Amino acid sequence: MIEPYNKLVKLAARAFYDDLTSKGDNQPKTGRSDNRGIAVVVLDALTRRQWVREEDLAKDLKLHTKQLRRTLRFFEEEKIITRDHRRETAKGAKIYSAAVAATADATTGKEGEEKVKLHTHSYCCLDYAQIYDVVRYRLHRMKHKLKDELENKNTIQQYICPNCGKRYTAFDAPRLLSRNGEDFDCESCDGKLDVESDKLAAQEGGDGDGDENARRRRREKLKDMLQKMEVQLKPLIDQLGRVKDLPVPEFGSLQAWEARASAAGRAANGDNAGDSKSHLGYNGAPMPYSGDTKVVVDFNGTEGKGEGVKSETDSTSLKVLPPWMITSGMNLTKEQRGEVKQETKMDGTSTSTAAQYTDEKKSTIGHDDKNIQDEYIKAYYAALLKKQHELEEAAKNPQDANAADDPSSSTSIRKVGDKYKRKEDDDGTEWEEAPARGNGIGAYKVDLNVEADAPAEDDEDDIDWEEG
Amino acid sequence: MFFHIVLERNMQLHPRYFGRNLRDNLVSKLMKDVEGTCSGRHGFVVAVTGIENIGKGLIRDGTGFVTFPVKYQCVVFRPFKGEILEAVVTMVNKMGFFAEAGPVQIFVSNHLIPDDMEFQSGDMPNYTTSDGSVKIQKDSEVRLKIIGTRVDATEIFCIGTIKDDFLGVINDPTTV
Repeated sequence: MIEPYNKLVKLAARAFYDDLTSKGDNQPKTGRSDNRGIAVVVLDALTRRQWVREEDLAKDLKLHTKQLRRTLRFFEEEKIITRDHRRETAKGAKIYSAAVAATADATTGKEGEEKVKLHTHSYCCLDYAQIYDVVRYRLHRMKHKLKDELENKNTIQQYICPNCGKRYTAFDAPRLLSRNGEDFDCESCDGKLDVESDKLAAQEGGDGDGDENARRRRREKLKDMLQKMEVQLKPLIDQLGRVKDLPVPEFGSLQAWEARASAAGRAANGDNAGDSKSHLGYNGAPMPYSGDTKVVVDFNGTEGKGEGVKSETDSTSLKVLPPWMITSGMNLTKEQRGEVKQETKMDGTSTSTAAQYTDEKKSTIGHDDKNIQDEYIKAYYAALLKKQHELEEAAKNPQDANAADDPSSSTSIRKVGDKYKRKEDDDGTEWEEAPARGNGIGAYKVDLNVEADAPAEDDEDDIDWEEG
Repeated sequence: MFFHIVLERNMQLHPRYFGRNLRDNLVSKLMKDVEGTCSGRHGFVVAVTGIENIGKGLIRDGTGFVTFPVKYQCVVFRPFKGEILEAVVTMVNKMGFFAEAGPVQIFVSNHLIPDDMEFQSGDMPNYTTSDGSVKIQKDSEVRLKIIGTRVDATEIFCIGTIKDDFLGVINDPTTV
């Protein structure tokens, strides 16, 4: 729906603004630093966005802000874009970022600062309705000018004062008449006025030929120009015709668009877990949901993925339980067991992989499995205790039995991590599955609980056990 | 172009004119005031042709003047763009020439004078063709086309051209 209009914008940009430079008049234009055509880039970028903050656009295009502003100011004067300048705090700017995130599926949501400094942020947006009119008017004027020149009719003479540059038209003629009646004098500086001749039919040096030839050459030149113009502008004119009947894409004012976009964004993100920060933002509008807050917590020295809000709140609300309070079968987290700082003797890799699995699974599980989880964990702890007793007995036995025992336990635990992937299919009735389940869901806690138990209860060097 | 229209004006009359000839006085005052003036909207009022209606007079506070709303018919002249007029040349200079068509002044710049006419200065500056057959000087009559009008509140000024077909000198004052 918006594509034909975007194509129109692109064609118009390449037709009319391809030699626009964003450098100021005073700056030297060397071959290296010449950026003619930057206007086309800017317009193309704007076709891919709706309302955009100028700083963001400058960053995306890797342009200097001042140069971009100069270009945008030019376009504003050409009535191709609309701009809005707002004084806002950084929080207000954040609302805009959220709105952009909603429309453009960007993944970042900036955190606002707490200061209340008011900066002026400028936003700009393509104004499609005006673009259509402006382009048509421009074409009309071009054709009109050429045709007038061609037929030599109805052009009102313009005069310019060479001293002060003041311009007059033939309508001012009676005022400009000098005292001797011979020529026109400038009103302010009394300099003799010069006639401003037509630029299109520029004089050649061959006026001595006779006016006939000069006139004919001028006519030829004008006709040529008119023809070239029609041929080169044909795609643009065709696009105009195509766009004529379509409804104009309308984004509305900045406020309206922001409200709409953030509402849409909120609706899209509302299903995900997590609550949005709901304190009042700019203008009293509720702060839109700007994405899950990501918290990275170091586990066992490895970097875990961002956890859901749930785990974060869980971890902060629980207290560390002293070891004598820990009875078997309690569903406790690592912090509660006091394991936050403790270095693990377990081999980093297997636990980390298990931890990785569990982290991933954790965020996707949700609340559904909680009940099952509890049951399995209880069962698992019971099994664990049993296993530990076995180990103790095994420790008194020769080492091979220990070794024989441990690989199985380690493999079972290893299997646990693997098996967990197929959790949906498994019923969980098997002994192997249950700990798998329990391990998967609460495995994070469980693994370390196991680890905690072992040193607490066994003074032996249970290296194999921990490796599992 | 000329028009015959009805205009309205509030005339103030001094009490010395009251009496039997109140109406005549009013009309003559109107004609003196209005004829020859120009309004941007209607153009130049050429002549008052008749009085349509004179309303009830209102005595102004503080003075003895009385205000009468008068409706009158008049002939007005208003130039339009694209109109073709005959005019009399009043001044010639190298930038073009000035001509008058009745109350309105028209300027024709040299850009809109045919290319074969060159300016010749002298005590009688003129534009003349290379073979001398056509000459534009003071008091020549020309037919010209209005290409633009500038309308102020009380003044109208026009720009004209003689570059199109059938335009230019109508008769030469020297031969007449």
